[in-house]
Amino acid sequence: MKVSYYPGCSLDGSAREYGESIKTVTGVLGIELEELPDWTCCGASSAHVTNDGLASALAVRNLVIANKIGRDVLVPCAACYLRLKSAEKELKSGKQIEENPGKYSSNIHIKHSADFIWEVCGEKAIREKVQKPLEKLNPVCYYGCLTTRPPQITDAKDPEDPKAMDNILKSLEANVKSWSYKTDCCGGSLMLTHPELAKKLVGHLFDMALEAGANCIVVGCPMCQSNLDTRQKEIMQANGNRYNVPIYYFTELMGLAFGSMSVDKWLKKHLTDAKTLLKQQGLL
Amino acid sequence: MVVGGGITGMQSALDLANSGFKVYLVEKTSSIGGRMSQLDKTFPTNDCSMCMISPKLIEVAKHRNIEIITNAEVEALEGEKGNFTVSVLKNPRYIDIQKCSGCGDCVQACPVELSNEFEMGLNTRKAAYKRYPQAIPGAVAISKGARPPCKLTCPAGCNGQGYIALSSKGKYLEALNHIKQWIPLPAAVGRICHHPCEQECNRGDIDEPLGIAPLKRFIADIVREKRKDGSLPPEEKPVIDPTKPKIAVIGSGPSGLTCAYDLVKHGFPVTIYEAASKPGGQLQWAIPKYRLPKDVLAADIQDIINLGIELKLNTPINDKLSLKDLKDQGYKAIYLAIGAQKSRSLPIKGIELPGVSLALDFLRDVNLGKEIKLGKRVVVIGGGNVAMDVARSARRLGASKVLAVCLESRPEMPAHSWEIEEAEEEGVSIHNSWGPTEIIAKAGQVSCVVFQKCTSVFDKDKKFNPSYDPSITTSIDCDNVIIAIGQATDQSVLSKAVRVKTTGGGWLIADPVTLATDEEGIFAGGDGVSGPKSAVEAIAHGHEAAVSIERYLLGLDLREGRVKSREEPAPIPEGEHARKHRIRNNRILLEKRLTSFDEMDLTYSEEEAKAEAERCLNCGLCSECLQCVAVCQAKAVDHLQKAGHLTLAVGSVVLAPGFDPFDATIKGEYGYGRMPNVITSLEFERILSASGPFQGQIRRPSDGKHAVKIAWIQCVGSRDVSCGRDYCSSVCCMYATKQAIIAREHESTIQPTIFYNDIRAQGKGFERYYESARTRFNVRYINSIPSMVKELQKNHNLLVEYTSETDGRVQEEFDAVVLSIGMVPSASTKVLAERIGINLDRFGFCATHETDPNVTSRPGVYVAGAFVSPMDIPESVMSASSAACLASQEIHEVRGSMVTEKTYPPEKEITEEEPRVGVFICRCGSNIARVVDVPAVLTYAKTLPHVVHAEENLYTCSTDTQDKIIKAIKEGDLNRIVVASCSPRTHEPLFQDTIQEGGLNKYLFEMANIRDQCSWVHATHMPQSTSKAKDLVRMAVARAITLLPLHQSRAEITRRALIIGGGLAGITAAQAIAAQGFEAVLVEKEKLLGGNLRRLHYTEHIADLQGLLATLIAQVESNSLIKVYKGAEVKSLSGYLGNYVTEIVAGGGSTERIEHGVVIIATGGVEYKPTEYLYGKSPGIITQLELEKKIVDRDALVTDAKSVVMIQCVGSREPEHQYCSRVCCSQAINNAIKLKELNPGREITVLYRDIRSYGMHELQYRKAREMGVTFIHFDVEKKPEVTQEVGKLTVKVMDKTLGKELLLNPDIIILSAAIRPQLDAEEFASKLKLPLTQDKFVMEAHMKLRPLDLVNEGMYLCGLAHSPKTVSESIVQAKGAVSRALTVLSQPYLMVGGIVSVVDSEKCAACLTCVRSCPFDVPHINEEGVAYIEVAACQGCGICASVCPRKAITLQHYSDEQVMAKTAVLVESAVEK
Repeated sequence: MKVSYYPGCSLDGSAREYGESIKTVTGVLGIELEELPDWTCCGASSAHVTNDGLASALAVRNLVIANKIGRDVLVPCAACYLRLKSAEKELKSGKQIEENPGKYSSNIHIKHSADFIWEVCGEKAIREKVQKPLEKLNPVCYYGCLTTRPPQITDAKDPEDPKAMDNILKSLEANVKSWSYKTDCCGGSLMLTHPELAKKLVGHLFDMALEAGANCIVVGCPMCQSNLDTRQKEIMQANGNRYNVPIYYFTELMGLAFGSMSVDKWLKKHLTDAKTLLKQQGLL
Repeated sequence: MVVGGGITGMQSALDLANSGFKVYLVEKTSSIGGRMSQLDKTFPTNDCSMCMISPKLIEVAKHRNIEIITNAEVEALEGEKGNFTVSVLKNPRYIDIQKCSGCGDCVQACPVELSNEFEMGLNTRKAAYKRYPQAIPGAVAISKGARPPCKLTCPAGCNGQGYIALSSKGKYLEALNHIKQWIPLPAAVGRICHHPCEQECNRGDIDEPLGIAPLKRFIADIVREKRKDGSLPPEEKPVIDPTKPKIAVIGSGPSGLTCAYDLVKHGFPVTIYEAASKPGGQLQWAIPKYRLPKDVLAADIQDIINLGIELKLNTPINDKLSLKDLKDQGYKAIYLAIGAQKSRSLPIKGIELPGVSLALDFLRDVNLGKEIKLGKRVVVIGGGNVAMDVARSARRLGASKVLAVCLESRPEMPAHSWEIEEAEEEGVSIHNSWGPTEIIAKAGQVSCVVFQKCTSVFDKDKKFNPSYDPSITTSIDCDNVIIAIGQATDQSVLSKAVRVKTTGGGWLIADPVTLATDEEGIFAGGDGVSGPKSAVEAIAHGHEAAVSIERYLLGLDLREGRVKSREEPAPIPEGEHARKHRIRNNRILLEKRLTSFDEMDLTYSEEEAKAEAERCLNCGLCSECLQCVAVCQAKAVDHLQKAGHLTLAVGSVVLAPGFDPFDATIKGEYGYGRMPNVITSLEFERILSASGPFQGQIRRPSDGKHAVKIAWIQCVGSRDVSCGRDYCSSVCCMYATKQAIIAREHESTIQPTIFYNDIRAQGKGFERYYESARTRFNVRYINSIPSMVKELQKNHNLLVEYTSETDGRVQEEFDAVVLSIGMVPSASTKVLAERIGINLDRFGFCATHETDPNVTSRPGVYVAGAFVSPMDIPESVMSASSAACLASQEIHEVRGSMVTEKTYPPEKEITEEEPRVGVFICRCGSNIARVVDVPAVLTYAKTLPHVVHAEENLYTCSTDTQDKIIKAIKEGDLNRIVVASCSPRTHEPLFQDTIQEGGLNKYLFEMANIRDQCSWVHATHMPQSTSKAKDLVRMAVARAITLLPLHQSRAEITRRALIIGGGLAGITAAQAIAAQGFEAVLVEKEKLLGGNLRRLHYTEHIADLQGLLATLIAQVESNSLIKVYKGAEVKSLSGYLGNYVTEIVAGGGSTERIEHGVVIIATGGVEYKPTEYLYGKSPGIITQLELEKKIVDRDALVTDAKSVVMIQCVGSREPEHQYCSRVCCSQAINNAIKLKELNPGREITVLYRDIRSYGMHELQYRKAREMGVTFIHFDVEKKPEVTQEVGKLTVKVMDKTLGKELLLNPDIIILSAAIRPQLDAEEFASKLKLPLTQDKFVMEAHMKLRPLDLVNEGMYLCGLAHSPKTVSESIVQAKGAVSRALTVLSQPYLMVGGIVSVVDSEKCAACLTCVRSCPFDVPHINEEGVAYIEVAACQGCGICASVCPRKAITLQHYSDEQVMAKTAVLVESAVEK
């Protein structure tokens, strides 16, 4: 099965391991990713806070390309996802946007990677590919804000309790922990402007993940990953608690369970040690 | 017709039935009682909800003129007002209500546990159930859905859900008997069945399908074991009728055995002819022992043979003993179940070589235990199950390399996937897509097989037609070749004389439905007809053949009703289903598997079987295990009941379908459904209830721990635009307050916290209740709605985040959170509305108008209760009465025409007779008899003095027992009857009715409650329970002897209503009385009619109230049935129900005497004249009513005002007037909106304590805010201060939300002044002897269920005299009060006397004790100077009799002698002991 793929900027840069692991696991699951030709910025980084029209136009431009191809679009980055979904809603509401030449009446769906893998590939396909069950891994899944909120744009089925990553990880036999902080703010957008506040928010997520009995956090968003992964030491200094919580992309763990050889390469890019835990459990 | 059997529907039905109409009460569930029956206590009196509703339930149940139709829904309504035809769909209950005594034996026997909707899913109930113990009708109901997929898939129709449910309860014998209806070889089939049921099992969509086959095997094995050790009885043998025609079955495989089994069970003599030395067919010969040990098979077969079947082994049917011979021997029917015993061979070179064998021959030798020499390498040709059996047997015989080679590709292989996988586990290697061409020998022995590539097995038509690529070949070295490519029948059974047609392939031809061959009396089935198939399919044929043979022998049509249509299987039942993996059978070690033919899979242990059985989803709800049928001694269970349609002619319709609780999962942020300790308020009601899932202990669901810190979150699904519920649900503030109080009463350590928006305690007595919650019960109220609930994972405690007025953002931990969910119209009401053709509002409530809140858009269809808008119980009851009044108004002329009245034979004179007592002792099915030794009680009863007749009955309440009682009275000349059974509360009227039919006075009856008071409460103390039952019977007999007949007499009724008060309520009431054809006298003390309505000008939806009033007055004054006295006052009132006399002083001072049957009090209230906030000191400070007039008059004071301040709660909610005036918030909001509409630029500020815009008034509140009206919240401790300086007004207010003091300079100040009772309320009350509340409003008979009645019989209440209310509510109450009055006015006469107090004037000392003690003010001292009790007025409570110091008063039927007789014999026995 072929699907259009919109990597966005971070998947080629700071979140390269996310991009590579997506390609690997979708390949295993028999999904062929076809990168949108001539894709451009989604408008998430600076356009959406400075120029509404530009923000829409950028996202619409990509949608128009996808529309021509006529396949569903898989979007790994949560910010890209929200921008494209917002643009989609604008187009469907009949709003005239310059980049869109005709009437947007497409039947293509914009899907976040976790939702796509869970809803389209499904439990059976995932279970069949598991070579190394992640039985001893106790993750909590953290979804952040942009894939679920606002639900009228994201079309999230259960915005208070999203489940796609939990379900995927359960299919890998991981001992997924429930917690109430799946969609709490990680302060991602405040890390530069209000770092103290952001660190407090992230620290609280670590506290609650540990309270839930987790030994790692699983994410599906490059911003969440970097925000949770990069500053654990600083936060420990600030609040005096001890953390060493690996922050995995769910696709990295899928790759691990599927027996991919590239896992080591991906995990090397993490700042918080992501390998010791897996080694201890004989998974790596 | 009344639709909906909740409290609203019940009240409407009772009012209508009691005023002379026949009522059909249609209820969609199996019992009436509605939501109220689920509540624990009710506010503000903390009465037990069930205790209040259950007498009502009984009243409805016993009412002659109410026909309850349960499990029913309205399908269509045709015709018009006064003349409707209603189609009603009545769903099956599967229980005959007439026969069911409600004993509950079937409930106990039922093995199926379903989520209990009455307990809000907090525990389970059985598929056979009563919604709650007091449910009416008292009959049990059975929940049944579509049939489960397991049953529908099984070729033999075996009901998996049924036996699994039974085994989950440890009922193994019942489970086995259930299985054997379909599978007579349960242990064998449980092992080898290919279980297509499991493929279809719904559980497979959740995790893994249930182990349906292993459970069957477990049940068969455990019963066999328990039969061996004698702990279970052996199978019952059928009685064989030798005169019935003989039947021969040819072949003892599963098909033949099944046919023989069915026929012998029906009493036919059956002989089985078997060619082989052992019975069992392929089960014996083809299936290897590691799958089916032969002793297991032998035992299964022996069980069948033992039923009385003749089995002739080694007796082939062929030319020597032919079918014709059998016919000649007298066999009237023959079943050919000859199987497919022959292996097919291959037409290839080398097939004849030594070392080559055929599969079935090979397997037969293996099963016979013959010594078989195999080489090291064995090739098995074939890809079916037989090939796998052969290959695996070969491994066990020592072949080190076994290769299974087949034409098919792996997915095409006919063998079951698990068979292939198990073979591979055992080292068999599978080679797909090869066809053999030649077997090559070396030295006369097989040395290799040559194969060519098979390119496809099936052709375009999907027929077996392999094609090959001869260019690709391979050869496999081997020592042996076994051919397993198919089977054939042995046709030697057929002879020339008896011709059964066969197909080209050699299979017997039989009719697919009846299995009849073209030879008379010969039937054929199993593999011999179908070709090799599974054991269950062969068994299915066996059953069908048995049916055909029996029909054939009885000369019946073979085909009728046997062609089955496809049934849709039941889906996965609703609700959450936790994932639980299937329990696998333990398996012996692989090494052991390869070295022996020991059975591979082991049976479940009991624990494993129970755990696996409990995974069953019970897809079909009822499992149709038929245990209920077996235990029901009343024969009331009928699983074949079908839905039926009723067509009813009715004059009007009242809709009271009630509400649903808001679905709390919609507010996902509160975690309901995800966090176990977040519960809804209705769940909390059940937790509080003593009869609820935790027996009234405040435990939380996650761990059963006692919850200490409990938070309530208000407005979940109310006042919330985000979920489309922007109205207020009106009742949640009060029920949360009540729940907090009751929780504290249960456990004083509980710390309740209520998070709220506004506390809406607008009803009568509510404010005082709310205050007591805060002050006496330490309920903490926090004015903030939490944004989110989080859960801690370690202890499942909950974190609630909210904003505190003092501490900002706070996070607090609680043990449990209760969501105060709102009311939404029932899901089914939309459909109902469409079918009936009435309009709904945008929320789905019934669209009504403010002046006619009970009138729908379709004439003749009325509405009541929470379907109008959210309301509490008293409002629903009032609404119900009001709707009843309207429903009867149109058809009042036919009142009484359908009422049934019973006539009895003349009463027997008994006063001179010796007592002759008849005692009837009830077994109540096994309900009493299980615990109480009923025969012993009976023997004892016979020894008691004066007992001349005693008997025990299965169900004393059943219709046939009533006939027996009547017969006994007549034949035994009995003059006293005692029934020892259940509660007189429910059953005394029934038995009294019976003895009246027997010619006895109904008071010559006494009851002993040996069920509730013996078998129920002492269930574990059987001897003591029996002894107590004897005591109770002895006491009942002792009292019965002293009983005397009492007679009631008829009293006439004055059919006229007196209505006191000519305001809106009074006028409406007078009109309604007249509309029903009765006379009304309306007395108004003012010179004009209209009361307070004269000062009101508009409401939310009525633009011109004065115009409306003028019309009403004109109508009333011109109505010939209404006499109006204006400027008149009531001077005195005397008399009693039905016959009152009132003196009034009319306008000119003349006194008039009015005779009337009932009184409606509609005396109204007044607006409080404020003394605070400088009222009266400034022209700019006015009340809301004054404002209204000035708005209408366009007074400059108002039109010019640029800024307006309104102050709420002026004179309300104060310590000395601790009640809420209910209407002022909405009134202020409406006036603010009017002022804004007149001048949008004007500033309006409303200063309030809580905005109480309950129900739909909330929409106006929102509108006002959207229009820019400012609302400022102040605290009662810091009330606003109003000052005036040189005409300039200043209001200083402490804004509670901002925490800052504000100064406002309005042009005018509007005071929302309280509503007060009439100033002369106390004087008036004393004249009429009316009870008043603390606040001097008139007190109703009961806050919840009799809100319109007074304790004084025949007096009713409506309007502001009751409590503050709106125009709309006054109209409802007035019509409701009329409905209540009609229950008296419409009676042909009143029955008085009976159980009443009588005075012995000789003994009376006129001490006044009785006069003072009577709560109904009945006794008074008469002209002769002694107490006099009016028979018609006495309520029979007995208080006067008990307090009278001279014992001058006797309560008839409960005289001292009668009471003492009981205690005397009780003590007597104690002395004896």
